This record gives sequence, structure tokens and C-alpha cells, in this order.
Amino acid sequence: MKHRIGSSLHHPFRPRAATLALACALAAGPALAQAQQNEYRIGVIAPTTGPVATVGQRQLTTLQWWEKSVNESGGIQGRKIRLIHCNDEANPERAVTCARDLLAQKVVLLLNSSVTGPIRAVMPLVEKGPVMLTPSPNIIPAPSTFVFQVSPSDVHMTQAIANYLKRSNVTKLGMVAATDASGEVGIASAQEVFPKNGIALTTARIDLRATDASTQLAKLASADVPVLYSSYSGGAASSVIKSYNNLGLTQPLIISYANISDAFVALIKNDLPDRLLGTAVRAVDPALLDARERQRTEAFTKGYQAWRKERIDQLNLIALGMADVASAVLRDVADPTDAGAVREYLHKTPVESFQTIRFSPQSHVGMNADDVAIVELTKDGSWVAAKPVATGNRAGR
Amino acid sequence: MNLLTQTIYSGLMSGGVYALVGIGLVLAYRTSRVLNLTHGESYVAAALTCALLTEKGVPLWASMLAGLLAAMAVAVAVERLLLRPRTSWPIPSLILLTLAAAFVAKGVFLLVAGVDPLSFERLLSGRPIRFAGGAMPRQGALLIGVGLATAVALTLFLAHTPIGRRLRASAENPDAAQLMGVNVPMLRTLAFALSGALAGLAALLLVPLVAVDFQAGLGMTMRAFIAAALAGMSPFLTILTGFGLGLFEAAVTGYAGALAQDPVVFAVLIALALWQSRGIRFGGSARA
Repeated sequence: MKHRIGSSLHHPFRPRAATLALACALAAGPALAQAQQNEYRIGVIAPTTGPVATVGQRQLTTLQWWEKSVNESGGIQGRKIRLIHCNDEANPERAVTCARDLLAQKVVLLLNSSVTGPIRAVMPLVEKGPVMLTPSPNIIPAPSTFVFQVSPSDVHMTQAIANYLKRSNVTKLGMVAATDASGEVGIASAQEVFPKNGIALTTARIDLRATDASTQLAKLASADVPVLYSSYSGGAASSVIKSYNNLGLTQPLIISYANISDAFVALIKNDLPDRLLGTAVRAVDPALLDARERQRTEAFTKGYQAWRKERIDQLNLIALGMADVASAVLRDVADPTDAGAVREYLHKTPVESFQTIRFSPQSHVGMNADDVAIVELTKDGSWVAAKPVATGNRAGR
Repeated sequence: MNLLTQTIYSGLMSGGVYALVGIGLVLAYRTSRVLNLTHGESYVAAALTCALLTEKGVPLWASMLAGLLAAMAVAVAVERLLLRPRTSWPIPSLILLTLAAAFVAKGVFLLVAGVDPLSFERLLSGRPIRFAGGAMPRQGALLIGVGLATAVALTLFLAHTPIGRRLRASAENPDAAQLMGVNVPMLRTLAFALSGALAGLAALLLVPLVAVDFQAGLGMTMRAFIAAALAGMSPFLTILTGFGLGLFEAAVTGYAGALAQDPVVFAVLIALALWQSRGIRFGGSARA
């Protein structure tokens, strides 16, 4: 039998074909360079597979909507935008590889929709620019850096929970946090905020690979807490909800900012607690917005829903925050590749998004506790401002 | 709520699963002498098949049956397509082959079911059973009962029925068994099918309480292997070690915290393994 393996190595060299290929490449080169000059390349890191894919996928879709709508309206300053996405799978090593690849492609801005650990891993790579935007509440960038966080911080979220509990006369809280970097930040914020507000805190940790949180929840329930809070983010947090149901618990359950999404609610549809609450930006319930904010949010909602045929959720909104900041930078900064100029611009200029995003020379966190609402899931799957704990199930589920 | 009681309940539920999956691993090991690292993928295949079919509106009982068949199909495929044609290969190579197959299965599950955890309805719903300050879902009680009963029944089946005796004979000395007229290849296939069915049964009972994703297989294989290894690959002792492992994990999580779970569990297990292998280290008979 004739041995065919490696036969391609013996193909004769074809000078005519090679010359033709070289000529094509040389001809295409200037055209490619011109196309690149006529567009802004924006790097996007978003986990679209792995344990927090529910977080990354929806944000990426929002950014794609932004790319499409900007380009359909003629671009920004006459230049189109082109997103270059890299899936970091919420893995810090992979995120660094993604960032290196994107920086090598000379992206103007980096939009990082990943979670705490991977975002932190990328931050040293943008010490000299370009500007990186992220919506992760656990990231508190130093004002000297080129990193800007467009959401409220985790401390702001925690303060909003504390305010809500105080309004409800609740003095004890049980908290479940993951054993990863996000969980560390959540526990640190909770220990900083709740005792100061007269709320006794009991905590339990859950391993990211665990599929059962019964023991952790039992530990909290044995402390007789009237409200439970799970800061665990991503699809794997469904194990907390299932275990809550397995134990027949009845306390209102507050879930994390990143899980106020249709994707997460779909995961737990068979195990919904009587009262499922969460921390969210106010725009999740348009009734909490002023007229201008509502107008901007509705414009996005209509455009996105017409394109995707799906309802917007919190993850869409926080990605919109990044997109709006990016639009403002590309529109108003003469050279957006100059990270110093972009930083100076963002320090001085509030950005109008679903809510106003304000940075300053003192803070690279764009929102604060006033931008946060405690919301509650309704029967129809939407989120509305939560009534106090003692008033029972507002949504009637 | 009493933490000790709840820890015991959680441990018994996990233990029931580890016992079932562990016995399946032992069954396949004892008839093939190969540690089947694809075993946990049968667990995932059953759970994902059932979850995806119920999502499509297929009745729960039919979805569960399909899940069980999927689990058996994965196990039989490993035996028929991977192991049987390569009986001349060294055992470590065959074990690596099953590990490779586990990664392939994981990729297939990712393509078919996506990244998010999936689950399906419970067989028994309603308020949990409350006893001694703890709460146990009705499905959890079913899981413990069925797990224990199946494990004991299988052990008795292997010890006291003609097929069970032939299975054991073909495991102990396949050549001699073949000479005695035992159809060894057929019995190996049967053992792998049973092994897959046990993993599938564990998934169908546990997953309504917890959820499963495409990458859960190797974790389940690891725990099953720990239970089986501690039991010296004895089916009966695997029942005890499976439940013991579940209780131990729950106690560490409950009293030392999730951060301590892996270091403590593995430190104790390594110590136990060293203790078990003392015969080898000090020149005695091989036990591990």
C-alpha cells in the first residue's frame, strides 16, 4: 500500500502560484491598512463559556448591538467601530492571553466584561494604556490608573442592602459567598458595612465547584437570620437557590448584582423562593428613574429588543454603561489612543447613560450607593423596587 | 435549624450518590482490571439527557428512562469501542485512554447542552421532612433509601446469583472462566452496562436537588474512586466508604468551612491511603 502520510511535503515548488499570492498580499496591504485607519478597534474580553458565561454572554450581545447601531448611523467621527472579542472563560491566565492579543492588535479601548480575578490579572497590562473600562463592582481602580469602573462598587451595593435592611428593621443577616476573589471582596465589603449599620453578620463560604449549599445555609439558618444574602455570581449560584429550596427556607433571599438576569432566573425557575431580591442599578425598574434617564433607557430598550427579540436585563444595562463611556471618549477626545487625554476627559466629563456615570480625579468608580436599588422578582419575570422585608411578598408569587 | 443534624442529612445524601457511583466503578474495574475514568461521564450523560428532554416537553418518566439508557450507552461504548479491541495494551495506557474519552465526552456535552447548569423536576416534591432540627427534601430521603437498597441488592446479586458468581469469576481469572464456558466478553459488557446504570440512577436521583453541568463528570469519578479505593475495591465496603466520604465532606464544610474542604479532605485521604498501603511499603502483601 502506498504510504501517503507526509506526501504534501513533496509537492513541487510552484513559482508562478507563489508570485501571484505575493502580488495579492502586496496589493491588499494598503487597502487593509486604510480600512484599519477608518475604524476604531475596540477590544472586548467577555467569558462566553465557563461558570460565568451567563454574565459575559449578555454583555457581549449588548456591545454587539452598540457596534451595529453606531455603524448603521455612520460611525463616530466618520469612523466605524469594530469589536474584537476574546473569550477568557473567566480564567485569569486566559484573560492575560486575551489582553496581550488585543493589545497587540492596537485596540483603542479595552472593554472588560469578565469577573474579579481575570480583570485584576489584566490590570497590570494596561498600566501605560490604553484605557480599560469594566462594569465589575468588585474592581476599585486607583485614580492614577487607566482603568475605569462604570458600575457602583461592591461597597455601594452592600450599603444599599444595609439601608434596605435598616428600613425594614432587620438587625441580622446571613451571607453566602464563594471561595474565589469575588467572594473575598464581598465578605470584605460586608464586614466593613453591616456592623457599622448595626446589622449582625453571619457568613458561610461555598466552593465554586460545589453543587450543594445545604450545610452552609443550615449554618446561617441556625443563627436565626431573617434575611439571606448570596453574593455568589454566575450560573453555579443556582446551587444556593436549590439548596435553599431543599431546606424549605422561607426568608427573603437577596442575590448578587451579576445574577439579576433572565438567564439566571431561567436556571432557577423550578426553585424560585417566595421572595427573590437583588441589588441592581435603578434602571432595572424604570419607575425609579427621572424623566431624562428613562428616555435614554427606553431608547436602548426599544432598539435592543427589536434586534434581539429578548427583554433587557441588568447585564445589558451595565454593558451599555461601558458602551456609552466608550462612545463619549471616541466622540470627544481628539486622540483616543492617548490614554492620558482620555483619563483627563473622563475625570472632567459626566457621561449620560441609563444613569449618569461620573468619574473624578479622586475616584474611577462611576456610580455610587444612590444609583443602586434593591429589587424584587415579579410573577412576570421583571424586577421592581422591593417593599420592606416585613410586608411579605409584593409580587404575589 | 441544627447544624449537626443538617450536616448528617447533607452527608447522607452525598454519600448515597458516592456509594452508587463508587460501586459502579468497582464493578467495571473488577471485570476489566481497568480503572474507568469515563465513569462520571455516565452520570453527566444521564442528567443532561433527562434535563434536555424534559425541557423539550418529554414526560419525566420517559426522560429518566432515556437518561438511564444514555448512561448505560456511554459505559458500554467505553468497553466495546475502547477497551475490548485493545486488550493487549498495558493497563496504564488503557486508563489514560478512558481519561481521554472523558475529555471527549466533556466536549460533546458542552456542544449539546451548553455551559449553564441544568436540572429537572423532582420525583418527590413538597415540603421537606423536618426531624431533629434538620430538613431533608423528600427526594433526598428517596435518594438515600434507593442508594442504600440498590447498593446492598447489587452486592447480594454478585455474591449469591449464578450470573453474579460468573461475573466475579471472569474478574478474578478470565482465562479460567472462559475455559469453564463462561462468556467473558458478554459479562464484561453486562458489568459496564450495570456500572453505567448505577451512575445514571445516582444522577437521576441527585440532580433534581443540585443541578449538573458539562464538566461535572471527572469530579464525580474522583469521589467515586476515593470511596472505592478506601474500600479496597470491594463493592460491599464501598457502600460504607461512600456514605463515610459524604458525611466527612459535609462535616468539614459545616464545621471548618468550604475553604478548608479540599485541604482537609485530601490530607485525611492521603493519610488513609498511606495507611492502607503499609503492607506494600513494609514488604507485606499488596493491598492497595
